[in-house]
Amino acid sequence: MERRVSAPLVLSSQRLVVVTGKGGVGKSMVAAALARAAAQAGRRVLAVDLAGNALARRLGVRRAGLEPCASPAGPFVAAVEPAEALGDWVRGFMPVPLLSRRLLESTTFQIVAAAAPGLPEYLVLQRVNAWLDERRLGRVRWQLVVVDAPASGHSLPLLAAPATLGALARVGPIASTLARIDRRLHDPARTAVWIVTRPEELPVAETIELHRELDGVLGLPVATPIVNAVPARRFSARDAALLEAAGPPESNPLLFAAALTIAQRREAVAQIRLLRRTLRHPPVRLPFLHVEDDALALDRLTQEIARATGLAA
Amino acid sequence: MTLARLVGTKRVLLCAGSGGVGKTTTAAALAIEAAQRGRRTAVLTVDPAQRLKDALRLDVVDGRPRAVPLGEGAAPLDAMLLDVKGTFDDLVRTLARDEDEAARILGNRIYQNLSGALVGSAEYMAVETVHRLARDARYDLLVVDTPPSRHAVDFLDAPRRLLALLDSRAFTILRNPTSILPAAGSRLASLVLRGVLAGIERLTGLGLVREIAEFVGLIESLTDALRERMAAVSALLASDATAIVLVTAPEPRLADETQDLAASLARLGLSIDGLIVNRALPRRLFGAVPPVPPPGLPAGLQRRLLDLHGDLRVVAAREQATLAPIVKRAGAPVLAELPLLGTPPGSLDDLRALARHLFADEPAARVAATPRP
Repeated sequence: MERRVSAPLVLSSQRLVVVTGKGGVGKSMVAAALARAAAQAGRRVLAVDLAGNALARRLGVRRAGLEPCASPAGPFVAAVEPAEALGDWVRGFMPVPLLSRRLLESTTFQIVAAAAPGLPEYLVLQRVNAWLDERRLGRVRWQLVVVDAPASGHSLPLLAAPATLGALARVGPIASTLARIDRRLHDPARTAVWIVTRPEELPVAETIELHRELDGVLGLPVATPIVNAVPARRFSARDAALLEAAGPPESNPLLFAAALTIAQRREAVAQIRLLRRTLRHPPVRLPFLHVEDDALALDRLTQEIARATGLAA
Repeated sequence: MTLARLVGTKRVLLCAGSGGVGKTTTAAALAIEAAQRGRRTAVLTVDPAQRLKDALRLDVVDGRPRAVPLGEGAAPLDAMLLDVKGTFDDLVRTLARDEDEAARILGNRIYQNLSGALVGSAEYMAVETVHRLARDARYDLLVVDTPPSRHAVDFLDAPRRLLALLDSRAFTILRNPTSILPAAGSRLASLVLRGVLAGIERLTGLGLVREIAEFVGLIESLTDALRERMAAVSALLASDATAIVLVTAPEPRLADETQDLAASLARLGLSIDGLIVNRALPRRLFGAVPPVPPPGLPAGLQRRLLDLHGDLRVVAAREQATLAPIVKRAGAPVLAELPLLGTPPGSLDDLRALARHLFADEPAARVAATPRP
């Protein structure tokens, strides 16, 4: 009899996945793969770029904006940034749009951001929240919203915004919306936060730190970390000994390749062990891909993510 | 100009680049090599990995320089960690008229948010640290690992932006938001700003206008001193005494970032002096012709070696394709390539080995023979 094992990143009722991680670990790639996997499984997906256009480009859209647009890869794509969200919000009640834009482009943004920390980030979250609430023809427009959040250091202010701003705005109209967003973010049935990393020292250290902040301090539903680009085990200890005896790595490109791979694998195993020990949970591993281009890499990663999330048939 | 010449003649060496490309490690290796070539060097690091911290003996975070034990024959090398909040607080204490004023600024809520959390304060304070160290007669060379900004130019642009912030009309109006200024543009600007603040106040229930006004009033007393300082740093960064080295890696995201950086630098009248390509598979080892396996290995292992080499050749080709636009957009020569390492450097010897790769074309012995400038 087949024993059903739940996939490690299973998406059941969750409608919001926030993907974050250190720059360069493949965060946008994983977000793009998730958006595609969900779209291929028949869901109505909106992929949201909060950090430039990396996710949009992965999905074949050169420049995304506030208005969701269809991507060749399937999911719809939109982009929003704190400065832009603040400008948008200010334009909502300012009589002189041109002037408000110019002022916000320059220094006012920084002053406002310092005076009301969390406000620009809150406005981004409010935008995402509005997408989650959006209904068309009597049904929710987006069954899944995948957010490519800024790299670790910048995503913390984003996810902490309800708390940061909430500490300032205890009463008033913002407070109630804030509470609603905060509940949504904290509800494991509705939201998942994914941290993407690589099996290397700095990204793993940053992941542990970020996990502590997001899970421990903020109490968000953080999924088990995703370790991207894990090198395969290609040589046994006996192989390694034979290779070492065959000569120094510099003497032959094959020996160099082997020594590099063995060292990388060893480092990866150590880092994954550290991650598991610290977070008391085995991380999800995605393989290092030896493929010719990004399109192929995305195809492969989409399959992997579909499997890990239970989206694959 | 070669890397050896940059290290041998410049006063400030800035390692620019996006987060995660190995900037901090590269800066450390450059600094070690500089000291070994006889230059008294300081390296300012931002957020180093634990292993690198251990290697440089940077176990205490207090922003003070620590001597790196390089041993016989090398000039002194100091390493330090960027301490954003501490540097900002020190700056306020230095520039304030008296202790009372300093205490009021340090206690202001807006200041606390601005100095700690504001995106960009790391850059301001790195710049301030550069300013201090560059005038320190103990050092010939300062190697700077720039903070991992979303936009790499943030660091170089920091003095200008801080000055712009202090000088901006927005700031002036904020200081006294209730006044209606005479100029028409200012009146509109004032209206807009008051609208923004009133909107935030309405929604948050905060007395922002008063707090901001107080903060601006306090910080204004520092403005002149700060302006002088920032102008001096700007001049130093733009002068011939400073070189900008872009640390990069074969990652697709870096093409656009490099283009942005080059364009932003050009606007500031600066340019990249050279590139250090980090973590690429060495091209020469992954050519089209498969190498011959060393003799004496079992056939199965030989086959797996060739398979692996084939796989890595695909990766190497992709890396080169990724690097080409990065190099083109940087508009600067590649000065050195650092090989991909299985394990990140965890000791001074590892860093020395990295430095040997950096200066492969010009080994230290030859350079050391030339007299110091």
